[in-house]
Amino acid sequence: MQKIDLPERPEWRIRAKDVGFTFADMNGEPYWDETSAYALTLDQIEQDIEIPSNELHQMCREAVAHITGSEELMTRLDIPRAQWDFVARSWTGGEPELYGRFDLAYNGESPAKLLEYNADTPTSLYESASFQWLWLEDQQGLGALPGDSDQFNRIHEALVERFGEILDPQTEIHFTADKDNPEDFATVETLAWAAREAGMGAHFTDLSGIGLSDQGHFTDDQDRVIGTLFKLYPWEDMLRDDFARHLDASQTRFLEPAWKAILSNKGLLPVLWQMFPGHPNLLPAFFAADVADALTGGTPAPRIAQAFAAAADQLRHGHVTKPIFSREGAGVAIHESGRVTEETGDDSYSHHPMIVQALARLPEFGGFHPVMGAWVVGQDCVGLGIREDRARITHNLSRFKPHFIQG
Amino acid sequence: MATRKRSRHVALVLAGSAVMALAACEDDRVDAQSFPDLASCVAAAQENSLWFTEADCRSNFANAAQEYLETAPRYESKELCEQEHGVGKCEGDPTQTAQNSGGGFSFMPMLMGFMLGSMMSRGGGVFSQPMVQTADGRYSTPKGDQSFASNRGRARFRPRPSPAARPRWGKRRSAAQPWRSAAVSASRRRRARVRAAAVWGADRMRPTGLQCPV
Repeated sequence: MQKIDLPERPEWRIRAKDVGFTFADMNGEPYWDETSAYALTLDQIEQDIEIPSNELHQMCREAVAHITGSEELMTRLDIPRAQWDFVARSWTGGEPELYGRFDLAYNGESPAKLLEYNADTPTSLYESASFQWLWLEDQQGLGALPGDSDQFNRIHEALVERFGEILDPQTEIHFTADKDNPEDFATVETLAWAAREAGMGAHFTDLSGIGLSDQGHFTDDQDRVIGTLFKLYPWEDMLRDDFARHLDASQTRFLEPAWKAILSNKGLLPVLWQMFPGHPNLLPAFFAADVADALTGGTPAPRIAQAFAAAADQLRHGHVTKPIFSREGAGVAIHESGRVTEETGDDSYSHHPMIVQALARLPEFGGFHPVMGAWVVGQDCVGLGIREDRARITHNLSRFKPHFIQG
Repeated sequence: MATRKRSRHVALVLAGSAVMALAACEDDRVDAQSFPDLASCVAAAQENSLWFTEADCRSNFANAAQEYLETAPRYESKELCEQEHGVGKCEGDPTQTAQNSGGGFSFMPMLMGFMLGSMMSRGGGVFSQPMVQTADGRYSTPKGDQSFASNRGRARFRPRPSPAARPRWGKRRSAAQPWRSAAVSASRRRRARVRAAAVWGADRMRPTGLQCPV
């Protein structure tokens, strides 16, 4: 894996504007940055990203089966008790998943390590699936990249296929998000176009316009009943909002299904480590409540004492604490040799239970730390979107970097 | 593993919430592109089309030409025709024969182009409309039920809805609004607490899809 300086496409900003990619620059900073790109080999893509991500997703599915069957773990993941059956039935009923994004630490050589699974409301889909694709096609056309270069990006086609697999032909799907957030809206619109290509009806309704009918069905902003709802709104919030008690009775088909509440929860990470200890793509991880004392010289909880002992040196050398619910790096802190060496100022999620995860050293390329976003559609890894940040905690001012596969 | 790791095409254009907020119970918005002739359509399809192919151009142009012949108005004289469609924009009716003289109505507006449209609420579904010129230099369908500023270029528009498809409801929102938070965004959230939803009775009837209000 290399980072290669490339000429920017002439007038790409005009092109971005023309196609509606309005957030290529955000808060006065570049978000889409094509002054350079990451180059990977086909072997790195397939052996180090694609195959491990496919395996990780299957491991995650096993974890969902395990967690939904355990009251203790549902409690530790802070799934509201009133919603346990609703969440568990979405799993036992075989409700299908649509998409997700693994965030992986990868340096081109050692095995990729799972940082977390954005399995519920991942954004940056448009940049990954569409604008990155256009960049490659354009750069090949301009001769800046060879014609035999490629990109790990079957995201759009895979989404079309997936919609066709999991829904009856011509299903009317409502898509909802915050319409005032262009990044969220772009993600939803990208999905909606794929749904339409799959022959579905796609309708956007703003989150604030969703209502509840006197029949107990959710309704859109024109009072039409919602049968199938894609929501770019986190399950951990939906399960807690005041209308949560209507979720089950509404009989709505949700995308993502409710069991994704377990995968987007950072409490997944210690459970995975417990189920698959030593897996090459996992970092040692524990619930903070089990190891907080042990990290400062005390003793760990008995049930994980052995696993902790095996990872203790690694954790003391460097670990990360994260709230089980968090977006965009909020509440994340890096601890090295007993000191906090980096943290985000945002503590809006820090009242939630925390987990402890061994520190994965992100590689550095020209002063930036890339994180691999491995896109999963259905159960298959189908694409890559790389974001990089000057800081080691990727947050919402990170930059999206295009990638290509060297021919 | 596939030898090619990327899609053959993608959905490149973000149209924004105004376009995505389609109302299936109302009319569908249409993504449209107009062409003065078949060749310009084919050229556009080859260059960079997001939703129509060269084959769409050919079959839809043929349909539009047929519809034009069937629906374009006929006039008694070239002058009358030109009053409605502009000087030099009329011609003799090619379908007229000696046996079928049309009672002297033998002039018709020239086919000035055609429009390709795609119903945006569905994948696929390309259709066409022929275009003739109007007296004020604009363009319209031969029937005159849709008019256009130009016979080339792209547009999005809302075709005239058929009355049967227009929703008619007397009651306004019967619904509580559970997701009424001011600033919810999954990626960059500083979320206000959601206010209480009203309690409603729930039955177990499963909604099968989008159901329009009666």
